[in-house]
Amino acid sequence: MSAKVKIIERKGVSYNEKLFLVEVFKGMRVTLGHFMRNFLDNSKLYVRHYPEVQPEISPRWRGRHRLTTHEDGTVKCVACFMCATNCPSHCIMIEAGERLDGKSEKMPIRFDIDLLECIYCGYCVEACPMDAIRMDTGIYSSTSSDRQSMLKGIDELLTTPGAFTEEDYKKGGV
Amino acid sequence: MAEMVKLFVNGQEVEVESGKNLIDAFEVIGIEIPHFCYHPALGSDGNCRMCLVGIEDGRPPLVPACKTPVSEGLKVQLDTEKIKKIQHDVMELELINHPIDCPVCDQAGECKLQDYYMSYDHQASRMRVPQVVKEKKMDLGCGVIHDQERCVLCARCVRFTRLITKTGELGIINRSDDARVALFPGRSLDNRYALNIVDLCPVGAMTSKDFRFKQRAWFLKRDKGICHGCSMGCNIFIDHNREKYKDDLIYRFRPRLNPEVNGYFICDEGRLGYHRENEGRLISARIGTEESSADQALQTARRRMEGADKLLILLSPNCSLEQMLAIQALAATTGATVSGFSDGSIKNGDADGYLIQDDKSANRAGLALLGVNTSPEFFESALQRTDTLVSFNNDLFITGPNQAWAKKLGEIQIIAISTHDTLFSRQAGIAIPTASYTEYAGSVINKDGILQTFGQAVCKNSAPLDMIRIAGLLGGTLTDPEALMQAMKRKIPAFAAIETDQIPEKGLKLSHNEAAHVTA
Repeated sequence: MSAKVKIIERKGVSYNEKLFLVEVFKGMRVTLGHFMRNFLDNSKLYVRHYPEVQPEISPRWRGRHRLTTHEDGTVKCVACFMCATNCPSHCIMIEAGERLDGKSEKMPIRFDIDLLECIYCGYCVEACPMDAIRMDTGIYSSTSSDRQSMLKGIDELLTTPGAFTEEDYKKGGV
Repeated sequence: MAEMVKLFVNGQEVEVESGKNLIDAFEVIGIEIPHFCYHPALGSDGNCRMCLVGIEDGRPPLVPACKTPVSEGLKVQLDTEKIKKIQHDVMELELINHPIDCPVCDQAGECKLQDYYMSYDHQASRMRVPQVVKEKKMDLGCGVIHDQERCVLCARCVRFTRLITKTGELGIINRSDDARVALFPGRSLDNRYALNIVDLCPVGAMTSKDFRFKQRAWFLKRDKGICHGCSMGCNIFIDHNREKYKDDLIYRFRPRLNPEVNGYFICDEGRLGYHRENEGRLISARIGTEESSADQALQTARRRMEGADKLLILLSPNCSLEQMLAIQALAATTGATVSGFSDGSIKNGDADGYLIQDDKSANRAGLALLGVNTSPEFFESALQRTDTLVSFNNDLFITGPNQAWAKKLGEIQIIAISTHDTLFSRQAGIAIPTASYTEYAGSVINKDGILQTFGQAVCKNSAPLDMIRIAGLLGGTLTDPEALMQAMKRKIPAFAAIETDQIPEKGLKLSHNEAAHVTA
C-alpha cells in the first residue's frame, strides 16, 4: 500500500520574489497596517493586557497547592505520605504527629512543599485518599527573590483559598 | 540434611523436607500458602482458616495447611475454584469490621491484610450496615499500642505471652463479632520481650509507640545487622532512612531469624538500642576543650603517643575482631600494653536465661580469643605505670566516675576514640569520633562462641572514621582488609578453612578448642 503523494508547487521562484526587495516591502505593509490599527484603537489588540487583565483559569488548571479542611476547619490531611511517595520530584516534606481532634489518629505537624522543586504534575492530588491536597488555587505565578519563601509551610497551604466553587471543581471545568 | 518427601502441588511433583507442615515446607520452595494465625515460633493454632488447602482424594478433602504435616504422595490443591472461594470468603469475613484506616496505620506496606487482599480477594465490600465499633489506641504497656478494630483475632499476641514470655497478660474476650484482644483486668503488658508482639501481629492491631508515625514502612531501607546490646549477638534488621536534607537515621530494629542464636525474637532493650546509634554521638573531634578537625586531633594524638612512656591501650569489648586485630597491631608498633578491662559493662543478675545476658558487650569472647587481658588487676597495674591512655571506645565511666582511679586519670594524658559523647570522652585530653556498629562492617563472637559477620548499614552525612582507619593513622600497620582477613584466619582455625564469602548466614560455630577461651 503506497502513501498518497501530493505534489506542492514550490513558491518563491518568480522574478519578483527572487529580488526579495518587493517582498520585504509587502511584509512591511502588513506590519504598518497592524501598527496603525492598534495605534488608533488599542481595544482591538490581539494580545491580552497582562497583568491588568488576568487570564481565565479552568478548574482543571494545576496551579499552586493548598491543603483543604473539613467544614469545622480541621485539616483533612492525615499524613499518610501518599503524596510524598508519589511525588516524582520529592518536593513534599511531611512530619507526622498525634492527632487530638478526634477526626483520625494522625495529622501532619509539618507539611512543606518546595515550589522551586515542584513540577506541577498533580500526582500528589491524584494520590491523596482524603482529597486533602488540591491544586485549585488558580495561582499560576509563584515568584520570589529568595529560596526560603518558595518553601510553603502547612499554615500557608491551609490558608490559601481555592479559586473555584466545590461544584465547579468536581465537574473539572467541563 | 533432613529427609525429603515427594508430593504433588496442583498436580506438579515437588520435593520438600519431611517433618514440616505444608506452610513451612512450601515456603522453602517458593510456594505461598496464605495464613494469619500460624507462626513457626508459636505453633499452629488453626483459628484463621486462611490456610485451608484441598487434598485430592483425601478424607477430609479440606485441611488447614498449618496443621498438616507433609507426607509422601500427598496431592495438595491450592488453586481450585473451591480453595479460591474459601480464601476470598475468609478475607471478606476478616474485612467486614476492619476500619480500613490504612492511611493512618503504621503497618501499611507490610500488612498481611493488604497483601492478601491484593493476591486473594480483590472484591468490593458488601457490608451495608454500620461496622462494630471497638476500642482504638489502647496503651497495653511496654510501648505496645492496640487497635481492636484492626485485629483479625489470630491470637498470635495471646500465644506469645503464654508460650514465650509465660506472663500471660493477654486474652481474647467476648464472642463472634464482639470478640477482641484485651488485657486481663488490672494488668498491663509487663515483660522484657513485649514489643515482639508488634512484629508478630500480621495486621496493624499492635503497633509500637516508639515507632508510631515516625516513618512509613516503604521508605525504610532494611539492612542486616547484629545487635551489640549484649553478648547474645541477636540478629536484627536495621531499618533506616535518609530523609531529604537530613542525616541517615535508624528508625527501628527488628529481629531477624537465626535459629542458632536468637530465633525469631529480640528483647525490648536491644530493640530500642537504636536510639543510642542516633543520639548522644560524639560529632567532632576535640583537643582539650577546643573543637578541631579529626585530622588535627589524630596528628596531635600520634605525637603524644610517640612521646608516651609505657603507653596503655584500652580496647572495648564491643569492637569487632578486625578492629581488635588492627589495634593490637598498633600496640605492637608503639610498644603499648593492651587491656580489655571493661567490668562496667557487665550487669550481674540481669540475665533471664532466654536472650538477655549479663554481659552488655558484643564481643568479649573475641577479646579472649585474641588473648587480650581483661582482668582489673592487669589494667590497674598498667594504669599506675603509664602516662598516656588511649581508649578505643572503652568507656571507663560507664557506671559513673570511678573514684579509685580519679587521681591517676587526672594526672595522665587520655586519648578517647569514642562513638559517643560520654563523661569519659569529655574528660579526655583528645577526643576523636569513630563509627559505631551500624556504620561499619565486621565480625563478632557471641557468648556461645558463634562468629557472626555483619555489613555496614548506615552511612552518615559526615561519616566518622572507622577504628581500623584510626589505628592506621595513629601508626598501626594492619589496616588493609585483605591483610586483616589473613590475620583473622591465622588466629581462628575454623575461619581459615573457608572463604570469606562463605561464612554461613547463621554464623560460624567455633570449635570447642577455640570456644574454651571464652570465659565471659
